[in-house]
Parts: sequence; C-alpha cells; structure tokens
Amino acid sequence: MSSSSGPTVVQSLREYSRGVAGGLMFSLPLLYTMEVWQTGFLAGPLRLLIFCGATFVLLLGYNHHAGLHDDSGWAEVVIDSVEEMGIGLIVAVAVLFLIGRISTELNFSEVIGKIAVEAMTVAIGTSVGTAQLGLEADAQKSKSKKQDEVHIGSQLVIAACGATLFAANIAPTEEVVVIATSSSILQLFIFMFCSLLLAALILYYIDFSGSQQFVRHNGFASIVAGTLASYAIALSIAAAVLWLFGRFDHVGLLTVVAETVVLGLVTTMGASAGRLLVQ
Amino acid sequence: MKTPKKNWLEWSIFAISLVVVLGTVGVLFYEFFTLGEQPADPQMELGPPQAHTGYYAVPVTVRNRGNETAQNVHLAVTLQLSGEESERADFILDYLPRFAKREAWVTFLHDPAKGKLEPRVLGYEKP
Repeated sequence: MSSSSGPTVVQSLREYSRGVAGGLMFSLPLLYTMEVWQTGFLAGPLRLLIFCGATFVLLLGYNHHAGLHDDSGWAEVVIDSVEEMGIGLIVAVAVLFLIGRISTELNFSEVIGKIAVEAMTVAIGTSVGTAQLGLEADAQKSKSKKQDEVHIGSQLVIAACGATLFAANIAPTEEVVVIATSSSILQLFIFMFCSLLLAALILYYIDFSGSQQFVRHNGFASIVAGTLASYAIALSIAAAVLWLFGRFDHVGLLTVVAETVVLGLVTTMGASAGRLLVQ
Repeated sequence: MKTPKKNWLEWSIFAISLVVVLGTVGVLFYEFFTLGEQPADPQMELGPPQAHTGYYAVPVTVRNRGNETAQNVHLAVTLQLSGEESERADFILDYLPRFAKREAWVTFLHDPAKGKLEPRVLGYEKP
C-alpha cells in the first residue's frame, strides 16, 4: 500500500490475516506430514540454520520483486520478510500444538527443530498469500507490472519460490526415494524430457495465466533459453530441498541424481506454472 | 534510508516477529555450538509394577543421553524369577531424538515383585 499516510490498522489486520491464510494454504499438507516432523530432530542445528537463512533470502527476493510495496526501499523489504518469518513461526507453533506434535513434555531441542522446519514453508506461503490473495493485490499488480518490466533476475527468484512451494510438499515423503531407486536410466531421461516439455508448454504455448505478461517471447532461442533456465532452477531447488530433508544422506551419487530428476518434474511445475501464479 | 510509514499494529507485529525469529535462530546457534559428537545413548528406567487384570504392567522411561537420534530402538525387560525361570517383554520405539524422553509399558504374566527386573537396550539404528 503506497498511500502517503500509510495503511490503517484495519487494513493491516486484513493484510496479516491474508498472510496467515496463505501460509496455511501452502503449508497444511506439510504440517500434517510425519516425515517433516521427523526432519525436525533428524536434521541437526546446522542444516536448520542453513534452511532458515535460505528461506530468508528467498523471502527478501520475493518481497523485493513481487511484493506490494513497489515504492519502498530495502528497509521495507527486510521488515516484511522478518514479519513473514515471525508469522510463519507463530502459525507453525499453533498448528503443531493443535495437532499434538509439540508439548511441554517433549525435549526443547526436538520442539524447536519441528517448529523451524515447518515455519519456513509457512513463511513463504505467508509472503505469497499477502501479495496474491487481496483485492488490492490484483489492482496494483495490473497497474504496476508492465511487460517491459520483465526482469530476468526477479523471474528467477520468483521461479525459485514457486519451485520451493511445490517441492516442499513432496520432497519429505519416502515416495521420491522409492521412485528414484526403482527408475531405470531411460526412465530418468524421460523424466527430464517431460519436465522440459512441461516448462516450455506452460511458459510459451498454452496461454497459461500471466504467461503473456511475464514471459519474454522473441524467437526460438529465447524459448530454449527460458525453458532451460526454469529447469535449472527447478533442479537446484529440488536438490536443496531433498538435502534438507535428509534424502541425500548415506546414498550414492546416482541415487542423488535420480532423486533430483524425479523431484525435478514437480519443481518444474513450480518454477513454471507456480511462478506465473505467484507473481 | 527513509523510515517506512507504519501504524502501531505493524510495528508490534514486526517487534514480536523479530523477537521470535532471533530467538529461534539464537537457540539453533546455541545448539550448534554446544552439541557434541556423542552417539545416541538410550537409557532405561523402570517404574513400580502395577497389577492389571490378568497381567502386571511395568512403566518404562527411555531417555536418549546422546547427541544423535536413534531409530528403531529395540528394548527389552527380563523378569528373572526364582530358579531358571524367566519372562521377557520387549518393545520398539520408532525414533528416540537426542535428549528425548519416551514412555512405554512392558507386561508380564508373573508378579514382578516375586523376581528381579532387568532392563536392556537390545539395539538401535543410526537414521
């Protein structure tokens, strides 16, 4: 909101409520997933710290490029990001307590781990929710973002956010490992082909909502480059999220690559379709 | 740098968020620097036996005193009765996180008061 007097308390309350709704919308599947609770005590403090840091960087990037405060400086972006992390933590505590996964009986180290893992996705969901779910968001979006403003850096950051939101729901499950270890090399190549095809179709062909507005389209070379960039982001995010959830622990290099390619199909959806939706 | 215009609600949410975030990160940093390399170390403690209909139940408290999580922790309690006779009860914990405490029960047909209870950690996996 860019009015000179700043938002009223009622407006702010609405914005925060939207954030909480968005956070819950994207993270409830994770809050209800056993493997994610287990990651809380399996991951160890260093991995959790890296996860928190990476999430904060993603939030900074997303708020800078897609947030509502177009006219604001980095101070505003930092404040927004801290608030989203804070809301993420508080929502995670509330839901984990409600579903009986944390209690005063449990060891503090176990509790803080569970909260930290869950809160980060809630935070990204909160950020996307605050920016996307409001009426002002729609109005402001069409006003402030024109096609000639498409910036490759911001598109990559937003693609990473979309990929993370999609990956976080699937990466913690055992199924990724099962699929990865039972797929042949040929199947993995087909996975990659399908991912690239999906990215190209969503970004350049099927007139997905927002694709006209946010995707630059001039010739075959730019289609290839855009598709490859999306897939590169998708694979990087897939690998990072799998590592966080301990899916790379005690496995060989081939399994690491196979898991990344298998989850890559999911993160490709996030980096292409998700990216267009969370602009 | 210009100060963003914010109302009291926004400043309070920001203040609370800052405390919560710094608190969480602070705890994680504290754990990172204080946590040793000590492997998982499940320890059992037995409570007083209770007579139930048809069997006796003994509460067991399991604590992990190590710095690593133990998975599939297999635990047993043997009731050594007079002579050669003995009865064993066991159970498995999916996970026992570092410093965590879990509670369970083992049951026996014979009265534990008439013998000697011996708790034992049979084995566990590194996750």
